[in-house]
Amino acid sequence: MRLSILSGIFSYFGSVTSSIVSLTGSCMTVIPYLLRLGDNSKEITEGYPDPISSKIADDLPPRTRGFLFNNIDLCTGCEDCVRICPSRCIRVEAEQAGNSSKMWVSRFDIDFSKCVFCGLCVEVCHSESLVHTRQFEGAAYHLKELTEHFGRGQVTFEQREKWILLRKMVEDDEE
Amino acid sequence: MSYEYSMLELGPYHSSLPGPMRLRLNFDGETVSSCQVETGFLHRGLEKVCELHYWPGAIVYIDHLDPEAAIFGELVFCLAIENIAELIIPARARAIRIILSELARISSHLFYFVRVAKTVGSETLVHYALRDREKILDLFELLTGARFSINFLRFGGVNADVTEGFIEKVFEVCDLMQLRTKEYNDLFTFNRSFLKRTACLAPLSMDQVLNFGITGPNARASGFDFDVRKRFSYLAYDQVDFLVPLGLGQAGMIGDVHDRFTVRLREIAQSSEIIKQILDNLPDGDYINPSVNLNSVIPPGESYSRVESSRGLLGCHVVSEGLAFLNRVQFRVPSMANFEIIPHLLKKIHIEDVPIVLASLDLSVAERDR
Amino acid sequence: MDFRKICILIEQWVEKFNLAPKWVHLTFTLVAVYFFILIPSGWFFSYLKRKISADFQARVGPSTCGPSGLFQPMADFLKLLQKENRNEVSHTETLWLSIYSMIFYSTMPVIPLGSLVLLVDTEISAFIPFWATLVLALGTILLGLSRGAITGWYGGIRIAVQTLSGVFPAFICLLCAGVGMKSFQWSLWAKSQGFFPWSWNFLSNPFEFVAFIVFVMSGLVILAVSPLDGGFSMSDIHGNVSSFLHGRWLALYQFCRFYVFFMWSVVAVVLFLGAWVLPSWVYTLADGEHLKFIGIVELLFLLIKVFFLMLVIVWISCVTPVSRVDQITNFSWKILSPFALVALVGASVLFSWKTVGR
Repeated sequence: MRLSILSGIFSYFGSVTSSIVSLTGSCMTVIPYLLRLGDNSKEITEGYPDPISSKIADDLPPRTRGFLFNNIDLCTGCEDCVRICPSRCIRVEAEQAGNSSKMWVSRFDIDFSKCVFCGLCVEVCHSESLVHTRQFEGAAYHLKELTEHFGRGQVTFEQREKWILLRKMVEDDEE
Repeated sequence: MSYEYSMLELGPYHSSLPGPMRLRLNFDGETVSSCQVETGFLHRGLEKVCELHYWPGAIVYIDHLDPEAAIFGELVFCLAIENIAELIIPARARAIRIILSELARISSHLFYFVRVAKTVGSETLVHYALRDREKILDLFELLTGARFSINFLRFGGVNADVTEGFIEKVFEVCDLMQLRTKEYNDLFTFNRSFLKRTACLAPLSMDQVLNFGITGPNARASGFDFDVRKRFSYLAYDQVDFLVPLGLGQAGMIGDVHDRFTVRLREIAQSSEIIKQILDNLPDGDYINPSVNLNSVIPPGESYSRVESSRGLLGCHVVSEGLAFLNRVQFRVPSMANFEIIPHLLKKIHIEDVPIVLASLDLSVAERDR
Repeated sequence: MDFRKICILIEQWVEKFNLAPKWVHLTFTLVAVYFFILIPSGWFFSYLKRKISADFQARVGPSTCGPSGLFQPMADFLKLLQKENRNEVSHTETLWLSIYSMIFYSTMPVIPLGSLVLLVDTEISAFIPFWATLVLALGTILLGLSRGAITGWYGGIRIAVQTLSGVFPAFICLLCAGVGMKSFQWSLWAKSQGFFPWSWNFLSNPFEFVAFIVFVMSGLVILAVSPLDGGFSMSDIHGNVSSFLHGRWLALYQFCRFYVFFMWSVVAVVLFLGAWVLPSWVYTLADGEHLKFIGIVELLFLLIKVFFLMLVIVWISCVTPVSRVDQITNFSWKILSPFALVALVGASVLFSWKTVGR
């Protein structure tokens, strides 16, 4: 009976002491953060856009998959990117230009509201016209603004006339 | 009032729940007498979508199986299709895959600490763990190009080699994690209030683990020594020397919430060890089997592969008929068993402890609903 | 009208004011206390709390609103005031809100804020803040019970249970602090302590130290200040009585929660931490004209000590997880109350031994 009372008292005071010790221990671990010692001299969060510490596109690693950019001069209009895109967000319209070795890519739209930035289109592009930039700030007010147009535009009537003439000349030469 | 049962319905959107799910709790006074769980609010048809794309597109979707640790979904899928094709993965690719897996495990456990600390009410640990997780996400960005949906594994290896500066930064992060686990211990693990809140709370018994098929840190906290990395070793895990932490019952009962927390702390330390061993002996060679590319077609066959994800045993069953699209992809997710155990764990729990128990199970609604 | 005439008019007005009945003086003092002491204290404390928690958590904290975020609390307050209430306020909720206002405006005169603003200096003035905390609890309980749903009902019961468990040790510590005093007047407590920490009440003997710690902690329990939030924490899951509040009512509610915490800290500082007493040479310098100035210095000194105490509690709350209600009542009944009783008995024995010895 006596043992149980004594052990009860000891465990009571033991629990009180351990609470105070663990509380002081926890309080002491945050002191280096308050006093900005060593590693903790700078906060982790920052106000955006902070001109000193916010990351800009050039600070990001070279492999970062940001917004896409298509160099239309190199693009061959093969539509491999359209076929592999898992979100089906690329639309391409291409036709043969007057000179049969070139393709006129009249429409190359990427809908960034659907794009998941997986990078498969960039991997598959063998002319390396489609690349990832490191841009990450793409917020817009309207959904239409999220579609980027990289194409050359529709072929004009005059240009089509020129192509027809060119093809006629090539056919005449071959004859 | 104490003789009537009262009912509280939480969800589908609620700040204390791990995701969209409905939880119907019946109370007897202050304690829960029974509960019903309803899930399916986050069903996105992930398994069906994998049948509608070539395998590179399927990998992009599988990234979203468990958004917090996307590598495990990709890994288990790639292992399955490599089994079908009987393809050899180069040693360097295997090493890179292990490094990514262990980093993802650390990141997932850090986010677990964030959830548990938030439900218990300690905001300081939330911010410390998030800060450390940022460093790991920066590592992912350096290697793969994205922080979360990495889309980095391919049929036969990985997509690209390590960049310069990656190995040094990984060593820094591993050393940092050793320091941080000590800091979390000082600040939080043996804090008296945390112990009072989590000791002997919702213990998971061995019977429940075996009957419900619970795997991962939850099962290991109850003393069930099962780790896929040791039992069905994959990649190069059999060449690495590491321990599998089991629950010690330091707070009074094996398998309670405190054990589930400390097991994950110790797993972070073990993962750092694994990464260091791999990096010390990083083999040279190809990062992908040269005979495959993005246009490869998976030969006909059927395979089931398993990995140890941060939540438990993740399995993938792939059926291919040699066509461009796979015939069937099915995932066995660890969160399925964790959801089934909720009604049993929540019996006789105070209403104030319900969020803590839910957070301690490391539930992922995205994984459960696919 | 030139400048001189305006000055003469103001002087005449001030003279008439000096001849006004006492209640006019009192009202003006109360308004001055409200606008120049309480609201700035609330502003400053809220800013300090957010900045210091941010420092602990390696964050920035308020930084854009005003110079390094100084106007952030006022911006939040103004934003809340502009919001409308979501539902119609029912009659029971109006009752609760009047109770809250009642505590607020009735205990404001009682707070000892230095010899300048000592409005209620009677023999029982130390008991009146206790009344405030009990009425606050009553109001919150009524609010919870009136909700009818499980969340409010259980929330109300929890508050009742928690408050009751905290009041018992708090009262005992108050008695312990007053051992040896002739009455519970604020000015007597100020006289019995000095400027330096070793002359403060809490270091006079170990029982008083224990009584100080228990007093502060039981205050946290009664007022549900974090980390002993209990009934007020995690409002969404288990029913906070105030989870329905929006807009202006929320602003009033938050300010009242700050006010009772502030009031309790002021009482703790006056009872145990040396009140507002400045070094003795300051008082020898004073003559009739400078008394008001010294009163202001005393007030500032008191406020510095009060903020220090409140920020230590904020420090502890940043680091500690929140406890459950039944764990808090356990703590209060099983640990705080025995220690308070032992402190009271010990202090009384010590005091009687000293007086008998004479």
